[in-house]
Amino acid sequence: MLKVPYVTGYLTEHFADDEFATLEGYERKGGYRAAREAITGMSPADVIELVKTAGLQGRGGAGFSAGLKWSFMPTDTDKPKYLVCNADESEPGSFKDRILLERGAHQLLEGILIAAWATGAEKTFVYIRGEYAQPARVLQRCIDEAYAKGYLGANVMKTGFRHDVVVTRGAGAYICGEETGLLESLEGKKGQPRKKPPFPAEYGAFGMPTTVNNVETFSHVPHIVAKGADWFRGFGTEKSPGTTIFGVSGHVERPGLYELPLGTRLDEIIFEYAGGVPNGRKLKGVIPGGMSMPILPAGQIDVPMANESLRERKTMLGTGGIMVMDETTCMVRTACVITYFFRDESCGQCTQCREGTGWLNKIVNRIERGAGLPEDLEILVDIAGKMEGQTICAFADAAAWPVQGLMRHFRSDFEAHVQHKKCPFPESFEL
Amino acid sequence: MPKFTVDGRPVEAAEGRTILQALDDAGLLMNGVSVPHYCWHPKLSIDGSCRLCQVEVEGIPKLQIACNTVVREGMVVRTETERVKQAREGVMELLLVNHPLDCPICDQAGECKLQDYAFEYGAVGSRSREPRRALKKNVDLGPTIVFDQERCILCRRCVRFCDEIPGTRELAVVNRGDHSVIETFPGVPLENDYSMNVADICPVGALTTRDFRFKIRVWFLADVPGVCTGCAKGCNVHLGVANNKVYRYVPRRNDAVNDTWICDTGRMSYARVGGVGRLRQCFVRGELGVPEAVDFDQALRVAAERLARLRDAKGAGVIAGIASPHATNEDLFVLKRFLRALGTENSGMAVVRGDSDAILVEAEKAPNAAGARALGFPAATGVIDRIAGGGIDGLVVLGHDLIHEQFLGGVDALARLDTVIVLDPHASALEHVAHVAFPTRLAAEKYGTLTNAAGRVQRVEPAVEPRWDARSEGEVLFALGAALGLEGFDGRYDARDISSALASQVPAFAGCSWDEVGGGGAPLTENPA
Amino acid sequence: MVISEDARARIAAEIEKYPVPRGALLPALHIVQAELGHVSPETAVEIAELFGIRPVEVMEVVSFYNMYFATPQPKHHVYVCTNLPCTLRGARVLYKQLKAHLGVDEHGNTPDGRIHLGHEECLGACAYAPMMRIDDRYCEDLDLEQAKHALSELE
Repeated sequence: MLKVPYVTGYLTEHFADDEFATLEGYERKGGYRAAREAITGMSPADVIELVKTAGLQGRGGAGFSAGLKWSFMPTDTDKPKYLVCNADESEPGSFKDRILLERGAHQLLEGILIAAWATGAEKTFVYIRGEYAQPARVLQRCIDEAYAKGYLGANVMKTGFRHDVVVTRGAGAYICGEETGLLESLEGKKGQPRKKPPFPAEYGAFGMPTTVNNVETFSHVPHIVAKGADWFRGFGTEKSPGTTIFGVSGHVERPGLYELPLGTRLDEIIFEYAGGVPNGRKLKGVIPGGMSMPILPAGQIDVPMANESLRERKTMLGTGGIMVMDETTCMVRTACVITYFFRDESCGQCTQCREGTGWLNKIVNRIERGAGLPEDLEILVDIAGKMEGQTICAFADAAAWPVQGLMRHFRSDFEAHVQHKKCPFPESFEL
Repeated sequence: MPKFTVDGRPVEAAEGRTILQALDDAGLLMNGVSVPHYCWHPKLSIDGSCRLCQVEVEGIPKLQIACNTVVREGMVVRTETERVKQAREGVMELLLVNHPLDCPICDQAGECKLQDYAFEYGAVGSRSREPRRALKKNVDLGPTIVFDQERCILCRRCVRFCDEIPGTRELAVVNRGDHSVIETFPGVPLENDYSMNVADICPVGALTTRDFRFKIRVWFLADVPGVCTGCAKGCNVHLGVANNKVYRYVPRRNDAVNDTWICDTGRMSYARVGGVGRLRQCFVRGELGVPEAVDFDQALRVAAERLARLRDAKGAGVIAGIASPHATNEDLFVLKRFLRALGTENSGMAVVRGDSDAILVEAEKAPNAAGARALGFPAATGVIDRIAGGGIDGLVVLGHDLIHEQFLGGVDALARLDTVIVLDPHASALEHVAHVAFPTRLAAEKYGTLTNAAGRVQRVEPAVEPRWDARSEGEVLFALGAALGLEGFDGRYDARDISSALASQVPAFAGCSWDEVGGGGAPLTENPA
Repeated sequence: MVISEDARARIAAEIEKYPVPRGALLPALHIVQAELGHVSPETAVEIAELFGIRPVEVMEVVSFYNMYFATPQPKHHVYVCTNLPCTLRGARVLYKQLKAHLGVDEHGNTPDGRIHLGHEECLGACAYAPMMRIDDRYCEDLDLEQAKHALSELE
């Protein structure tokens, strides 16, 4: 049951109001004014400069400066330009884009319009994961409303600017959340990421200049235009301004969504906002940014949730999917769940990824069922190291990092499995 | 033309070329500079998935794949650093996690890039204790190719080949991750005239040809450079020879002719190099019209006598010579001199034509029609008309294209001729009308050159030796000229000497002697074709 | 012809939205599957014709994505998410219980062939675990009774 965030901010403050998901309701709360202001009162270059100055980082996991990405789009070309909204949200632990789609679709569309104006894009493809059938229906309804009102189409808000939005449903493949894997899927092919260079701004959707941004990234844009860069920088940290919607799951009292400024401390989110670990248990570990990000042990969660701080702890913000694990959790079984996921979702192109994800999963499973050997632990770390930084896309890195994180902080769980030939955590979840 | 260095060695690249392409262009790739690779192929699109070709590029923190990195001026590339070695070891180890230990039963052994690179760049021993994936080992992809799914390293060369060269796109990689496997669509097998090339480009023994499967270990084969003689393209090949027998053709790279490819029909024509269908003995036709096997000297004497008698009785103008488009330039050069010395202008060349395509296959189904034309042999129609009109009584005919339905359509027109002398590697209906017949050598059994449709002169050398007394057409005619006392036919016959004479005496062939054309061939200075 | 006129019309409408027709291939496969349940070789041939590609290219796309099937399928697809956040909150226990409750075989199909029960990776409902996807809707915040009830309502 889709719950509105426990803590809201400028993105989600009206999400409890069902009307906000309609065009009238959205406009009543000031919606579409920023888009009108941008298209009629600002040059595309000004909009890009504004978003750059605001310091909006992409919210899809990579954290790349949105304004800078927009500035890569060519300004002197005859080719049609496209935007892609990455609504493929499939990172385990992330469920924020889903609510932005179901309850804030017009906010997203307004952000898209402004980005379209800034980059000269004539069409946006919203690539939404196939399993999000309900959010896709809501989004399409809102798009139809926007067309009916003249906010999309040949003459947006009677300004002469033209923009179309198409919803494309994916069909169940995590790798289609990777920028160029998405583009391949959008073109009707397998979602196998492309070699880079060229980058999407040069060769993107259907070979045309394209910018790909996450749902949440677009959603911040109307607020930045309406209220300014300084206002936006009033939230978060200097390097990571704005809010983000953290998704808290696992062993907490109140799993759910929390829109908070970047830089809010992880322990604060878990214990103050989400109610801490239930059943009187102690915290064991937290994955801070979606399952690709290395785990932090309980003793290291006093860290601001922003990339610059998390990097010092050898992890990253990712999509802000905070997965909390209590003391009953066996980290070897966790490794089994994680490595299974990456093995299943690898597109299979690169040798390191295709074979490495399979091998990691096989070794971890063998350790879990009690047939592990001491040298297996070194091999795990070594394979993960040989997968990193050597592939067409970052999926192999994403598959390697969790294993590295678990071995860095919870090696003793693995050693116990090897030594005792069984799981030493009787209360842990079963596989 | 950006200049860059590889391990300190300066290399110049053409604009827009990648590191691998530039090294390949310069003839350095795996020949001075080692950048092992699987998915890259000089004649296919860039794939970038095997990751084996990673190298260090100064100024870029991550290793870069050499196959997809465009050379820039001043780029500094290193291929032998510790990081590169670790990366290669990593790729090799990961490929061997699932690749089956089939070497003892795998045809590819001895020419396997997995063996070679594992030996050269891999770690010693395997750390994997996990069961390998179990897939199908004997899939009929089509009539010519057998596929072992377990051995496949998913370099996707075969998929790209079918898409880009014949354009038939029969193959695809289905599923994803380590469940990926290459398949065809039910009812659409791998079936096109270039299908067997996929076995060449497959770096491992996943794709093998049904024809060669389990026949012989490749280390027993000597690779003799040669040329396919199935049509006028002249695709370069290596003949795989053991026990005085040709076991296969594999294409030999020549960027001016066939790149790295050969059509299936041409590839399978290796089977014609051997004893099947061959003329194995000289014979002469006795008084009762019955052919009698004789030795070479006897046949020579009878042939010389008959020609001399005919010439003395009616003049050399009733004698004609037909060049074979299957014989070498040297053979035909000797024929030309023979006819001139004999005193006749009547000559021609017939070549059978068939289908052609836009890729390699030429319409002329013989390797040296262009050579015959460049030597001045006109089309055979003139001689054919004169035979029909009764103006020809003697014929020296090389090969048997002349009696094909596209020309005489049989031997009847020749039955009334006074003297028919046949020189042919193969038995044919000509024997019914020949007064003397000489078994001759195929291109793979002698030294010589052949001129392809584009006017490129390419050389052949003896790969096998016939087990009967066969001589090249040139040698037979040379002996016949000597037996007739013609001027310029004394001395010992040497094909390579003849080749040099040809190159110096016929302007079109300047610089095209056997020695000068080398392994890659050279163009005629003028091509009348 | 296996694909209906209606489906063809809807596919044609999708093709209009893309600068290159093939952009509509995934939407077309969703349309075709909604109608026929899976993409058979016959179906693949017709789809290939619509897009000017080869049938093998259709099959490679079908085989890559979890939501497309090349073989006949039960009427209902039910997937319990068994990724990490859901597993932390008992998803795998629920999955085992539902398997037993439905009496599925080793392929995950009920004896009457109506329902396929499987597991999926993260569906974006981590705070509402355990949960499952039934065809195109989510059933979240489940316990065993609620899950059984949701399944009993399937026709």
